[in-house]
Amino acid sequence: MDVQELVGIVPWTFIATICNLFIQIYLIKRFLFKPINAMLEKRKSLADAQIREAEQAKNEAQAMKSEYEQNMLEAKNKASEIVASAQKTAAVQSEQMLAEASAQAAAMKAKAESDIAQEKRKAVNEIKNEIGGMAVEIAGKVIEREISEEDHTKLIDEFISNVGEAS
Amino acid sequence: MNVDISGAKVFFTIPIDFPVLGKIQISETIVVSWLVMLIITGLCIWLTHDLKVENISKRQAVAEMLVEMANKFVIGNMGEKFRYFIPFVAALFATSLVSNLISLVGLRSPTADLSTEAAWAVIVFILITREKIKAGGVGGYLKGFTQPIPLLTPFNILSELATPISMACRHFGNILSGIVINGLIYAALAVASSAILGLIPGLVGDVLAQIPILDVGIPAILSVYFDWFTGVMQAFIFCMLTTMYIANAAEG
Repeated sequence: MDVQELVGIVPWTFIATICNLFIQIYLIKRFLFKPINAMLEKRKSLADAQIREAEQAKNEAQAMKSEYEQNMLEAKNKASEIVASAQKTAAVQSEQMLAEASAQAAAMKAKAESDIAQEKRKAVNEIKNEIGGMAVEIAGKVIEREISEEDHTKLIDEFISNVGEAS
Repeated sequence: MNVDISGAKVFFTIPIDFPVLGKIQISETIVVSWLVMLIITGLCIWLTHDLKVENISKRQAVAEMLVEMANKFVIGNMGEKFRYFIPFVAALFATSLVSNLISLVGLRSPTADLSTEAAWAVIVFILITREKIKAGGVGGYLKGFTQPIPLLTPFNILSELATPISMACRHFGNILSGIVINGLIYAALAVASSAILGLIPGLVGDVLAQIPILDVGIPAILSVYFDWFTGVMQAFIFCMLTTMYIANAAEG
Protein backbone atom coordinates (compact mmCIF):
# COMPACT_ATOMS: atom_id res chain seq x y z
CA MET A 1 0.00 0.00 0.00
CA ASP A 2 1.24 3.45 -0.91
CA VAL A 3 2.07 5.88 1.82
CA GLN A 4 1.96 9.64 1.50
CA GLU A 5 4.70 11.90 2.78
CA LEU A 6 4.74 12.44 6.52
CA VAL A 7 5.03 16.21 6.19
CA GLY A 8 3.60 17.57 3.01
CA ILE A 9 0.54 18.93 1.35
CA VAL A 10 -1.43 16.61 -0.89
CA PRO A 11 -3.54 18.76 -3.23
CA TRP A 12 -6.60 16.52 -3.29
CA THR A 13 -6.61 16.05 0.46
CA PHE A 14 -6.32 19.81 0.77
CA ILE A 15 -9.31 20.40 -1.51
CA ALA A 16 -11.31 17.62 0.13
CA THR A 17 -10.67 19.15 3.55
CA ILE A 18 -11.92 22.55 2.42
CA CYS A 19 -15.06 20.96 0.99
CA ASN A 20 -15.49 18.85 4.11
CA LEU A 21 -15.23 21.91 6.34
CA PHE A 22 -17.95 23.72 4.43
CA ILE A 23 -20.16 20.65 4.42
CA GLN A 24 -19.53 20.34 8.15
CA ILE A 25 -20.48 23.97 8.68
CA TYR A 26 -23.77 23.35 6.87
CA LEU A 27 -24.45 20.14 8.78
CA ILE A 28 -23.68 21.63 12.17
CA LYS A 29 -25.85 24.63 11.34
CA ARG A 30 -28.70 22.46 10.11
CA PHE A 31 -28.64 19.83 12.83
CA LEU A 32 -27.42 21.68 15.93
CA PHE A 33 -27.84 25.45 15.72
CA LYS A 34 -31.10 25.63 13.79
CA PRO A 35 -33.19 23.35 16.02
CA ILE A 36 -31.64 24.62 19.27
CA ASN A 37 -31.98 28.28 18.32
CA ALA A 38 -35.55 27.73 17.17
CA MET A 39 -36.30 26.02 20.46
CA LEU A 40 -34.64 28.78 22.49
CA GLU A 41 -36.59 31.38 20.51
CA LYS A 42 -39.81 29.51 21.20
CA ARG A 43 -39.01 29.33 24.89
CA LYS A 44 -38.21 33.03 24.97
CA SER A 45 -41.45 33.96 23.23
CA LEU A 46 -43.35 31.69 25.60
CA ALA A 47 -41.77 33.37 28.61
CA ASP A 48 -42.48 36.79 27.13
CA ALA A 49 -46.10 35.84 26.54
CA GLN A 50 -46.41 34.63 30.10
CA ILE A 51 -44.94 37.83 31.46
CA ARG A 52 -47.30 39.85 29.30
CA GLU A 53 -50.25 37.82 30.50
CA ALA A 54 -49.23 38.27 34.10
CA GLU A 55 -48.90 42.00 33.59
CA GLN A 56 -52.31 42.16 31.98
CA ALA A 57 -53.86 40.19 34.82
CA LYS A 58 -52.21 42.52 37.29
CA ASN A 59 -53.56 45.57 35.50
CA GLU A 60 -57.02 44.07 35.42
CA ALA A 61 -56.85 43.28 39.10
CA GLN A 62 -55.73 46.82 39.84
CA ALA A 63 -58.58 48.25 37.79
CA MET A 64 -61.03 46.01 39.58
CA LYS A 65 -59.63 47.03 42.92
CA SER A 66 -59.92 50.74 42.18
CA GLU A 67 -63.44 50.23 40.87
CA TYR A 68 -64.36 48.33 43.98
CA GLU A 69 -62.85 51.00 46.15
CA GLN A 70 -64.80 53.68 44.30
CA ASN A 71 -67.99 51.69 44.69
CA MET A 72 -67.32 51.28 48.37
CA LEU A 73 -66.71 54.99 48.73
CA GLU A 74 -69.93 55.80 46.88
CA ALA A 75 -71.89 53.38 48.98
CA LYS A 76 -70.46 54.86 52.11
CA ASN A 77 -71.34 58.39 50.99
CA LYS A 78 -74.82 57.31 50.05
CA ALA A 79 -75.32 55.60 53.38
CA SER A 80 -74.20 58.65 55.32
CA GLU A 81 -76.43 60.82 53.12
CA ILE A 82 -79.39 58.61 53.82
CA VAL A 83 -78.68 58.67 57.52
CA ALA A 84 -78.31 62.45 57.49
CA SER A 85 -81.53 63.01 55.57
CA ALA A 86 -83.36 60.58 57.85
CA GLN A 87 -82.09 62.46 60.84
CA LYS A 88 -83.17 65.75 59.32
CA THR A 89 -86.61 64.44 58.46
CA ALA A 90 -87.01 63.05 61.94
CA ALA A 91 -86.02 66.34 63.51
CA VAL A 92 -88.39 68.30 61.30
CA GLN A 93 -91.19 65.90 61.98
CA SER A 94 -90.69 65.95 65.72
CA GLU A 95 -90.54 69.73 65.71
CA GLN A 96 -93.71 69.88 63.68
CA MET A 97 -95.40 67.46 66.01
CA LEU A 98 -94.31 69.46 69.01
CA ALA A 99 -95.55 72.68 67.42
CA GLU A 100 -98.86 71.09 66.56
CA ALA A 101 -99.22 69.71 70.06
CA SER A 102 -98.43 73.00 71.66
CA ALA A 103 -100.82 74.82 69.32
CA GLN A 104 -103.54 72.34 70.14
CA ALA A 105 -102.89 72.74 73.82
CA ALA A 106 -102.95 76.50 73.49
CA ALA A 107 -106.23 76.36 71.57
CA MET A 108 -107.73 74.06 74.18
CA LYS A 109 -106.58 76.32 76.94
CA ALA A 110 -107.97 79.40 75.18
CA LYS A 111 -111.30 77.71 74.63
CA ALA A 112 -111.48 76.58 78.20
CA GLU A 113 -110.67 80.06 79.41
CA SER A 114 -113.31 81.60 77.21
CA ASP A 115 -115.82 79.00 78.37
CA ILE A 116 -114.99 79.74 81.93
CA ALA A 117 -115.31 83.47 81.37
CA GLN A 118 -118.64 83.04 79.67
CA GLU A 119 -119.94 80.80 82.40
CA LYS A 120 -118.72 83.25 84.95
CA ARG A 121 -120.41 86.13 83.19
CA LYS A 122 -123.58 84.13 82.88
CA ALA A 123 -123.51 83.21 86.53
CA VAL A 124 -122.77 86.76 87.56
CA ASN A 125 -125.62 88.11 85.42
CA GLU A 126 -128.02 85.59 86.87
CA ILE A 127 -126.95 86.37 90.36
CA LYS A 128 -127.06 90.05 89.57
CA ASN A 129 -130.58 89.80 88.25
CA GLU A 130 -131.69 87.67 91.17
CA ILE A 131 -130.06 89.85 93.75
CA GLY A 132 -131.38 92.91 91.96
CA GLY A 133 -134.88 91.54 92.05
CA MET A 134 -134.51 90.47 95.62
CA ALA A 135 -133.09 93.80 96.67
CA VAL A 136 -135.81 95.71 94.88
CA GLU A 137 -138.35 93.56 96.57
CA ILE A 138 -136.71 93.94 99.94
CA ALA A 139 -136.16 97.64 99.54
CA GLY A 140 -139.71 98.13 98.28
CA LYS A 141 -140.96 96.41 101.31
CA VAL A 142 -138.70 98.47 103.61
CA ILE A 143 -139.18 101.97 102.32
CA GLU A 144 -142.23 101.68 100.13
CA ARG A 145 -142.43 104.65 97.73
CA GLU A 146 -139.65 106.89 98.89
CA ILE A 147 -137.47 105.85 96.04
CA SER A 148 -138.74 105.30 92.57
CA GLU A 149 -138.18 101.93 91.00
CA GLU A 150 -135.85 103.47 88.45
CA ASP A 151 -133.48 104.94 91.06
CA HIS A 152 -133.53 101.71 92.90
CA THR A 153 -132.44 99.64 90.01
CA LYS A 154 -129.64 102.02 89.27
CA LEU A 155 -128.44 101.92 92.85
CA ILE A 156 -128.54 98.14 92.99
CA ASP A 157 -126.72 97.81 89.69
CA GLU A 158 -123.99 100.01 90.97
CA PHE A 159 -123.72 97.98 94.11
CA ILE A 160 -123.64 94.67 92.26
CA SER A 161 -121.03 95.80 89.80
CA ASN A 162 -118.94 96.76 92.78
CA VAL A 163 -119.53 93.30 94.21
CA GLY A 164 -118.71 91.74 90.82
CA GLU A 165 -115.49 93.62 90.61
CA ALA A 166 -114.56 92.72 94.16
CA SER A 167 -115.40 89.05 93.69
CA MET B 1 13.82 -2.28 16.98
CA ASN B 2 11.72 -1.19 14.10
CA VAL B 3 9.86 2.10 14.40
CA ASP B 4 7.73 3.02 11.46
CA ILE B 5 6.24 6.48 11.49
CA SER B 6 4.86 7.35 8.11
CA GLY B 7 2.33 9.56 6.41
CA ALA B 8 -1.25 8.66 5.65
CA LYS B 9 -1.82 5.38 3.86
CA VAL B 10 -3.42 5.56 0.42
CA PHE B 11 -6.36 3.20 0.17
CA PHE B 12 -7.39 3.89 -3.38
CA THR B 13 -6.09 5.89 -6.30
CA ILE B 14 -8.33 7.11 -9.10
CA PRO B 15 -6.11 6.72 -12.15
CA ILE B 16 -6.89 10.04 -13.80
CA ASP B 17 -3.96 12.39 -13.84
CA PHE B 18 -5.07 15.96 -13.36
CA PRO B 19 -2.59 18.66 -14.27
CA VAL B 20 -0.82 20.13 -11.23
CA LEU B 21 -3.11 18.33 -8.76
CA GLY B 22 -2.09 14.82 -9.70
CA LYS B 23 -4.12 11.65 -9.20
CA ILE B 24 -6.96 11.56 -6.70
CA GLN B 25 -5.78 9.52 -3.77
CA ILE B 26 -8.33 8.37 -1.24
CA SER B 27 -6.04 8.38 1.76
CA GLU B 28 -6.49 7.46 5.39
CA THR B 29 -6.86 11.17 6.16
CA ILE B 30 -9.86 11.56 3.86
CA VAL B 31 -11.59 8.38 5.02
CA VAL B 32 -11.12 9.21 8.71
CA SER B 33 -12.27 12.79 8.14
CA TRP B 34 -15.48 11.42 6.64
CA LEU B 35 -15.84 9.31 9.75
CA VAL B 36 -15.26 12.43 11.87
CA MET B 37 -17.97 14.27 9.97
CA LEU B 38 -20.33 11.35 10.45
CA ILE B 39 -19.60 11.29 14.19
CA ILE B 40 -20.17 15.05 14.60
CA THR B 41 -23.33 15.09 12.51
CA GLY B 42 -24.68 11.98 14.22
CA LEU B 43 -23.95 13.53 17.59
CA CYS B 44 -25.77 16.72 16.57
CA ILE B 45 -28.79 14.77 15.36
CA TRP B 46 -28.83 12.64 18.51
CA LEU B 47 -28.49 15.69 20.75
CA THR B 48 -31.24 17.67 19.09
CA HIS B 49 -33.94 15.08 18.45
CA ASP B 50 -37.09 15.39 20.50
CA LEU B 51 -36.49 18.95 21.68
CA LYS B 52 -38.87 20.34 24.26
CA VAL B 53 -39.57 23.86 25.44
CA GLU B 54 -40.15 22.87 29.03
CA ASN B 55 -38.99 20.08 31.28
CA ILE B 56 -35.92 19.34 29.18
CA SER B 57 -33.82 16.18 29.22
CA LYS B 58 -30.14 16.07 30.14
CA ARG B 59 -29.33 15.48 26.48
CA GLN B 60 -31.09 18.66 25.48
CA ALA B 61 -29.42 20.57 28.32
CA VAL B 62 -26.02 19.48 26.94
CA ALA B 63 -27.03 20.56 23.41
CA GLU B 64 -28.20 23.95 24.67
CA MET B 65 -25.03 24.36 26.72
CA LEU B 66 -22.88 23.65 23.65
CA VAL B 67 -24.80 26.19 21.58
CA GLU B 68 -24.58 28.76 24.36
CA MET B 69 -20.85 28.13 24.73
CA ALA B 70 -20.29 28.58 21.00
CA ASN B 71 -22.36 31.77 21.04
CA LYS B 72 -20.49 33.14 24.02
CA PHE B 73 -17.08 32.21 22.63
CA VAL B 74 -17.61 33.82 19.23
CA ILE B 75 -19.51 36.89 20.43
CA GLY B 76 -17.13 37.36 23.36
CA ASN B 77 -14.07 37.27 21.12
CA MET B 78 -15.42 38.92 18.00
CA GLY B 79 -18.47 40.97 18.95
CA GLU B 80 -22.13 40.82 18.06
CA LYS B 81 -21.70 41.65 14.36
CA PHE B 82 -19.82 38.40 13.75
CA ARG B 83 -22.77 36.29 14.84
CA TYR B 84 -22.79 34.54 11.45
CA PHE B 85 -19.33 33.14 12.22
CA ILE B 86 -20.70 30.94 15.00
CA PRO B 87 -21.37 27.84 12.84
CA PHE B 88 -17.98 28.25 11.15
CA VAL B 89 -16.04 28.40 14.41
CA ALA B 90 -18.16 25.63 15.93
CA ALA B 91 -17.57 23.37 12.92
CA LEU B 92 -13.85 24.13 12.98
CA PHE B 93 -13.59 23.38 16.68
CA ALA B 94 -15.70 20.22 16.53
CA THR B 95 -13.85 18.83 13.52
CA SER B 96 -10.46 19.62 15.00
CA LEU B 97 -11.37 18.18 18.40
CA VAL B 98 -12.89 14.94 17.11
CA SER B 99 -10.06 14.53 14.59
CA ASN B 100 -7.49 14.91 17.36
CA LEU B 101 -9.25 12.56 19.74
CA ILE B 102 -10.06 9.89 17.17
CA SER B 103 -6.47 8.68 17.55
CA LEU B 104 -7.60 7.29 20.92
CA VAL B 105 -9.38 4.45 19.14
CA GLY B 106 -6.29 3.66 17.05
CA LEU B 107 -7.24 5.49 13.87
CA ARG B 108 -4.89 7.99 12.30
CA SER B 109 -5.97 11.53 13.07
CA PRO B 110 -6.81 13.59 9.96
CA THR B 111 -5.04 16.42 11.80
CA ALA B 112 -1.82 14.42 11.65
CA ASP B 113 -1.76 15.35 7.97
CA LEU B 114 -0.51 18.84 7.13
CA SER B 115 -2.98 19.06 4.23
CA THR B 116 -5.88 19.28 6.67
CA GLU B 117 -4.50 22.10 8.78
CA ALA B 118 -3.23 23.91 5.69
CA ALA B 119 -6.73 23.85 4.23
CA TRP B 120 -8.21 25.28 7.41
CA ALA B 121 -5.49 27.91 7.73
CA VAL B 122 -5.98 29.00 4.12
CA ILE B 123 -9.70 29.45 4.72
CA VAL B 124 -8.94 31.50 7.83
CA PHE B 125 -6.37 33.52 5.84
CA ILE B 126 -8.96 34.25 3.16
CA LEU B 127 -11.44 35.36 5.82
CA ILE B 128 -8.84 37.60 7.47
CA THR B 129 -8.00 39.20 4.13
CA ARG B 130 -11.66 39.64 3.30
CA GLU B 131 -12.27 41.44 6.61
CA LYS B 132 -9.23 43.65 6.07
CA ILE B 133 -10.39 44.64 2.60
CA LYS B 134 -13.91 45.20 3.92
CA ALA B 135 -12.55 47.46 6.65
CA GLY B 136 -10.11 49.57 4.58
CA GLY B 137 -10.89 48.87 0.92
CA VAL B 138 -8.42 47.28 -1.49
CA GLY B 139 -6.25 50.40 -1.47
CA GLY B 140 -6.19 50.55 2.30
CA TYR B 141 -5.35 46.88 2.47
CA LEU B 142 -2.42 47.22 0.08
CA LYS B 143 -1.28 50.45 1.69
CA GLY B 144 -1.22 48.67 5.04
CA PHE B 145 1.80 46.68 3.82
CA THR B 146 3.93 49.81 3.45
CA GLN B 147 3.32 50.92 7.02
CA PRO B 148 5.06 52.36 8.94
CA ILE B 149 7.78 52.80 6.24
CA PRO B 150 7.89 51.36 2.69
CA LEU B 151 11.16 49.64 3.50
CA LEU B 152 9.27 47.15 5.69
CA THR B 153 6.99 45.96 2.88
CA PRO B 154 8.70 42.57 2.40
CA PHE B 155 8.57 41.93 6.12
CA ASN B 156 4.92 42.89 6.30
CA ILE B 157 4.10 40.46 3.49
CA LEU B 158 6.11 37.80 5.26
CA SER B 159 4.32 38.38 8.54
CA GLU B 160 0.98 38.28 6.74
CA LEU B 161 1.86 34.91 5.22
CA ALA B 162 3.30 33.69 8.50
CA THR B 163 -0.12 33.80 10.11
CA PRO B 164 -1.70 30.84 8.28
CA ILE B 165 1.58 28.95 8.10
CA SER B 166 2.19 29.23 11.81
CA MET B 167 -1.41 28.31 12.60
CA ALA B 168 -1.26 25.20 10.42
CA CYS B 169 2.18 24.12 11.57
CA ARG B 170 1.44 24.67 15.25
CA HIS B 171 -1.57 22.41 15.15
CA PHE B 172 0.01 19.84 12.88
CA GLY B 173 3.25 19.76 14.84
CA ASN B 174 1.53 19.12 18.13
CA ILE B 175 -0.58 16.26 16.81
CA LEU B 176 2.25 14.72 14.81
CA SER B 177 4.61 14.94 17.77
CA GLY B 178 2.04 13.04 19.81
CA ILE B 179 1.96 10.31 17.20
CA VAL B 180 5.75 10.18 16.92
CA ILE B 181 6.25 10.02 20.65
CA ASN B 182 3.53 7.43 21.06
CA GLY B 183 5.16 5.29 18.35
CA LEU B 184 8.57 5.65 19.96
CA ILE B 185 7.24 4.81 23.40
CA TYR B 186 5.41 1.73 22.17
CA ALA B 187 8.53 0.49 20.38
CA ALA B 188 10.83 1.34 23.29
CA LEU B 189 8.60 -0.33 25.84
CA ALA B 190 8.35 -3.42 23.65
CA VAL B 191 12.14 -3.59 23.51
CA ALA B 192 12.37 -3.01 27.24
CA SER B 193 9.85 -5.70 28.10
CA SER B 194 11.47 -8.27 25.84
CA ALA B 195 14.84 -7.43 27.36
CA ILE B 196 13.53 -7.78 30.92
CA LEU B 197 11.46 -10.92 30.30
CA GLY B 198 14.28 -12.41 28.23
CA LEU B 199 16.26 -12.67 31.48
CA ILE B 200 13.97 -15.53 32.52
CA PRO B 201 15.85 -18.68 31.53
CA GLY B 202 14.56 -21.37 29.23
CA LEU B 203 11.55 -21.59 26.94
CA VAL B 204 9.30 -19.55 29.24
CA GLY B 205 11.56 -16.56 28.86
CA ASP B 206 11.71 -16.90 25.09
CA VAL B 207 7.89 -16.98 24.83
CA LEU B 208 7.29 -14.16 27.30
CA ALA B 209 9.90 -12.01 25.56
CA GLN B 210 7.64 -11.95 22.49
CA ILE B 211 4.83 -10.27 24.49
CA PRO B 212 5.35 -6.51 24.95
CA ILE B 213 3.90 -6.57 28.45
CA LEU B 214 5.06 -3.02 29.30
CA ASP B 215 2.96 -1.64 26.42
CA VAL B 216 -0.15 -2.16 28.56
CA GLY B 217 -0.91 0.79 30.81
CA ILE B 218 2.07 3.13 30.54
CA PRO B 219 1.18 4.61 27.09
CA ALA B 220 -2.34 5.23 28.36
CA ILE B 221 -0.99 7.58 31.02
CA LEU B 222 1.08 9.43 28.44
CA SER B 223 -1.90 9.64 26.11
CA VAL B 224 -3.68 11.74 28.74
CA TYR B 225 -1.22 14.46 27.78
CA PHE B 226 -0.44 13.72 24.14
CA ASP B 227 -3.96 12.90 23.00
CA TRP B 228 -6.40 14.45 25.43
CA PHE B 229 -4.63 17.61 26.56
CA THR B 230 -2.90 18.42 23.29
CA GLY B 231 -5.96 17.53 21.26
CA VAL B 232 -8.30 19.78 23.23
CA MET B 233 -5.75 22.57 23.56
CA GLN B 234 -4.88 22.68 19.87
CA ALA B 235 -8.51 22.71 18.79
CA PHE B 236 -9.17 25.53 21.24
CA ILE B 237 -6.05 27.50 20.26
CA PHE B 238 -6.83 27.19 16.56
CA CYS B 239 -10.35 28.54 17.04
CA MET B 240 -9.17 31.22 19.44
CA LEU B 241 -6.60 32.47 16.91
CA THR B 242 -9.16 32.32 14.12
CA THR B 243 -11.62 34.52 15.99
CA MET B 244 -8.90 36.88 17.20
CA TYR B 245 -7.31 37.38 13.79
CA ILE B 246 -10.63 37.93 12.04
CA ALA B 247 -11.87 40.35 14.72
CA ASN B 248 -8.57 42.28 14.61
CA ALA B 249 -8.71 42.41 10.82
CA ALA B 250 -12.19 43.92 10.95
CA GLU B 251 -10.97 46.63 13.28
CA GLY B 252 -8.52 47.65 10.54
